[in-house]
Amino acid sequence: MSAYFPTMGLEIHAELLTISKVFCTCSAEFGGTPNSRCCPVCSGLPGTLPVLNQKAVEYIIKAGYVMNCDISRFTKWDRKNYFYPDLPKAYQISQMPRPVCLSGTVNINVNGEDKVIRINRIHLEEDAGKLVHDDVNRISLADYNRCGVPLIEIVTEPDFHSADEVIAFIEKIKLLLQYAGICDCKMEQGSIRCDVNISIAPKGSTELGTRTELKNLNSLKAIARAIEVEIERQEELLESGERVIQQTRRFNEQLGETTAMRSKEEAHDYRYFPDPDIPPIIFTEEELDEIKRSIPELPEQRVARYVDEYGIKKADADIIVGDKRVCDFFDAAIAQYDNPKAIANYIIGELMRRINLGEADMDALKFGGAEFAQLVEYMQTDKISQANAKTILREMIENGSSPKDIADRDDLWIKEDNDLLAKVVDEIIANNPKPVEQYKSGDQKVFGFFMGQANKALKGAASPKAIQEYIRKKLSE
Amino acid sequence: MAVELKTIQHLCELSKLDYDEEGMKKVMGEMSDIIDLMDEIKDFDLTYDDTKDGNEIRFGDTREDVSEESFPTDKLLSNAENTEGCYVVPKVVE
Amino acid sequence: MDLIRTNLRELRKSLDSKEISAAELCGEYFKRIEAVDPELLSYITVTKEKALKDAENAQKLIDEGKATALTGIPLAIKDNICIDGVRTTCASKMLENFIPPYNATVIEKLNAEGYVLLGRTSMDEFAMGGSNQTSAFAKTKNPYDLECVPGGSSGGSAAAVSASLAPAALGSDTGGSIRQPSSFCGVTGIKPTYGRVSRYGLVAFASSLDQIGPICNDARDCAVLLNAICGHDRHDATSARVDTPDFTEKLGQPIKGMKIALPKEFFAEGVDDAVKTAVMSAAHELEKQGAVLVECSMPGLKYAIPAYYLIACAEAASNLSRFDGIKYGFRGEGRTFEELIRDSRSRGFGEEVKRRILLGNYALSSGYYDAYYKKALALKQEIIRQYNQIFEQADVILTPTAPTPAYKIGSQDSDPVKMYQADICTVTVNIAKLPGVSTTCGYTDSGLPVGMSIIGKRFDEQTILQCADAFEQGFSPVAPKL
Repeated sequence: MSAYFPTMGLEIHAELLTISKVFCTCSAEFGGTPNSRCCPVCSGLPGTLPVLNQKAVEYIIKAGYVMNCDISRFTKWDRKNYFYPDLPKAYQISQMPRPVCLSGTVNINVNGEDKVIRINRIHLEEDAGKLVHDDVNRISLADYNRCGVPLIEIVTEPDFHSADEVIAFIEKIKLLLQYAGICDCKMEQGSIRCDVNISIAPKGSTELGTRTELKNLNSLKAIARAIEVEIERQEELLESGERVIQQTRRFNEQLGETTAMRSKEEAHDYRYFPDPDIPPIIFTEEELDEIKRSIPELPEQRVARYVDEYGIKKADADIIVGDKRVCDFFDAAIAQYDNPKAIANYIIGELMRRINLGEADMDALKFGGAEFAQLVEYMQTDKISQANAKTILREMIENGSSPKDIADRDDLWIKEDNDLLAKVVDEIIANNPKPVEQYKSGDQKVFGFFMGQANKALKGAASPKAIQEYIRKKLSE
Repeated sequence: MAVELKTIQHLCELSKLDYDEEGMKKVMGEMSDIIDLMDEIKDFDLTYDDTKDGNEIRFGDTREDVSEESFPTDKLLSNAENTEGCYVVPKVVE
Repeated sequence: MDLIRTNLRELRKSLDSKEISAAELCGEYFKRIEAVDPELLSYITVTKEKALKDAENAQKLIDEGKATALTGIPLAIKDNICIDGVRTTCASKMLENFIPPYNATVIEKLNAEGYVLLGRTSMDEFAMGGSNQTSAFAKTKNPYDLECVPGGSSGGSAAAVSASLAPAALGSDTGGSIRQPSSFCGVTGIKPTYGRVSRYGLVAFASSLDQIGPICNDARDCAVLLNAICGHDRHDATSARVDTPDFTEKLGQPIKGMKIALPKEFFAEGVDDAVKTAVMSAAHELEKQGAVLVECSMPGLKYAIPAYYLIACAEAASNLSRFDGIKYGFRGEGRTFEELIRDSRSRGFGEEVKRRILLGNYALSSGYYDAYYKKALALKQEIIRQYNQIFEQADVILTPTAPTPAYKIGSQDSDPVKMYQADICTVTVNIAKLPGVSTTCGYTDSGLPVGMSIIGKRFDEQTILQCADAFEQGFSPVAPKL
């Protein structure tokens, strides 16, 4: 057991899903050939001026509401001044003394225990561009496509004491932002990024230790690992009588270590001051109410609704709601076929199983919830056998055809062919005198053997119900 | 009041400006005089209330979220040293 | 055609009556520029080729009967307003070869009218100065006395109009940069209310203070030109959503009963007697026309210079950070980004620009912010309050435009403090976002013009133009002998 106790706070940056950038009309979409999504404003030409995007403001207000923040009725923008070649104006437009959102809370559940994380503030700012380093020619190439994409920065209080809590919180934030329609939260594309402030102190101490800031964390796995190694590093320092230096450290995933960034962090003086190009904004209660009302249903409410209205098990509802893409898929499916339980079961039991096996990708499914619902309906109404349903689903994943087309093409419908059923079952019974005897002497378990044999031979030509009835009839003769 | 050399050096650092020895001497003298002039404001003892500037706009006065065609890359880069549609920056040392 | 101090209304008539074509008209101005400007140095760039194309387009509109107020009218544009495809230097080595790929909003508006560009007028580097002597390319002289400064920073625009090298020009005004050179060069210039004219495309000096405005032969022309360039702009969030009246509407209306305030601090020591006398006699002229003079006070004036310089330089330090040699402008040498940017800035900027960047960063840097920058903002609020108080009892305010007439080149520009203090009469108007017009109210014994400023309520350019015009109608200006 360690003699120390870690304390962490987070700074999460999330790119907003606006159509245009925050201060100009260039597309905010990810990607594009270098400098193709730029204009005189976002590339910082002299004389150009920023004009604030209303949607970006609406989104940060929504973010504030979903994290139970106070929304400022008066908010303004500041310049954060520093020189870096990915920042064409040499200042980032951000918010300092009057952010849009202050003091909120977010509930998380870690290993079955509920915990409240306090939000210090959320402010709106612009993203910077991208530098590609060419080490051979000792130059960097600057691409400003990302310059001016709206970001919110969520700053928490130092309320975390384990990596598990941090991960649970980030997952919760991702869900909240996704459900509110604010951010797609694709860590691999950098649309959500997280810095961790971390310090350790002897157990029982009421004072916090000196903190370091971890940057360059590109996945949840990296975050968990970086926290672990940084805690170890700090412990080793303290154990050997040294002290922790306040600094920014970069996590190297390959080496599994954190290293100090050689930056003049101490010399940084950002000289924040109110941006004279962007007037402050005042909100009326009506405007804020309208934004609040437009927030879509959030994860917790959805789980409750699925449980209460659809009778889905809480654990299953958690799984479905736990991935917005799955949840949207589920909603589309039940709109097609009103049998939420059956659809939930088949999503969890079959679709997600295949996704977890890597056979399917939720981001690249070739069919929608409606087609999936059709398949479940065919199964539920004895039009397709369970075995054939699996075959059809595989085909859908691979080629995206509709279940009806696949069943038609491969002749997978249950035909209720009673003559064939009688012929097949009669044969099985005739060929297996021993199990028949067992059954007749009261061994009911052997019934499954006959079902299995019949299913296999019939290949879905008869419904399970018809097969069962016929076998039972024949065996009791 | 003469301003200290290290203050000017710090300002040069923030401003990304360099002076040679003679230039530094000259600018130190000038900055001392200028700062003396600025110091007159210290007599004034009202406090600033940022909510009282009266220059706010309404939420509805902000820009509608519509994207328009971006600028031709070559035109944008026409005043810059560029290659492959990018600005050329000497190696950044961290 | 006689170009000397010919106003825009006369030019309009000549063009509409086909007495002269648009091409001929700009040709006449180019002839004069070629004859006079080598000595005067009011232009940095003369755009003859473009002008002939502009004139051709304008002539078509005129011939089709579609001419508006400025169709075919040649204008000079200060060299800090971006014009697509036309070199825009801000009179700085930093932007010596900068060709903007876009138009400022005011240029779009003038294009829509079919104006003809004569060229780009010189200025103090990045609009920082009051003498045009910090220009890296053309240290403009005063048309009334070539040994004197033309004022600044829009000294090129004012000198060009004064010497009839352009019938009118655009300037920009951050702390007096339209009004003071207008006063030194004996022309009329208006700084509109902050937000009246879009700043989009104006290379920023101090964003909360900058405003583009006309420099013309008289207040009537200022009204015509202001009509063309004003209005809310979706590219400038600080441009005001207010109605744009016809600024010529109140011209010629009697000023009987107009209350004109004279704040005593503007006439205190430090202001030349010749200036005081000229402005006071103009005040009595207006009184004769029925205006009522009101005595008043603006105690905040004594802090105005530090407040102005702290705000303006703080903003400038940030605004000018983008000049790093990478995206545009002078690219110095360096193996690393840090080296390149330091070299580009150290060699690209002139001494005054550098001083202001240092001062701005001083005011904003940690430990000094509250004592300087925040204090300046508090003072700004106080100055606004004091102006509001004066406007409770007056319609307009009358002050000298500058404490002195044009001074000798080299006599002041070596002392930054003295230079800064010379802005005392103009800076509060920018701080309070008010409109102010400067017009000539007399001449010194040596024949140098003296200007007076009429300051109005926010968005009440109509009244100050009416008042300036009322004075001008009874005043005979003397053109420089060039």
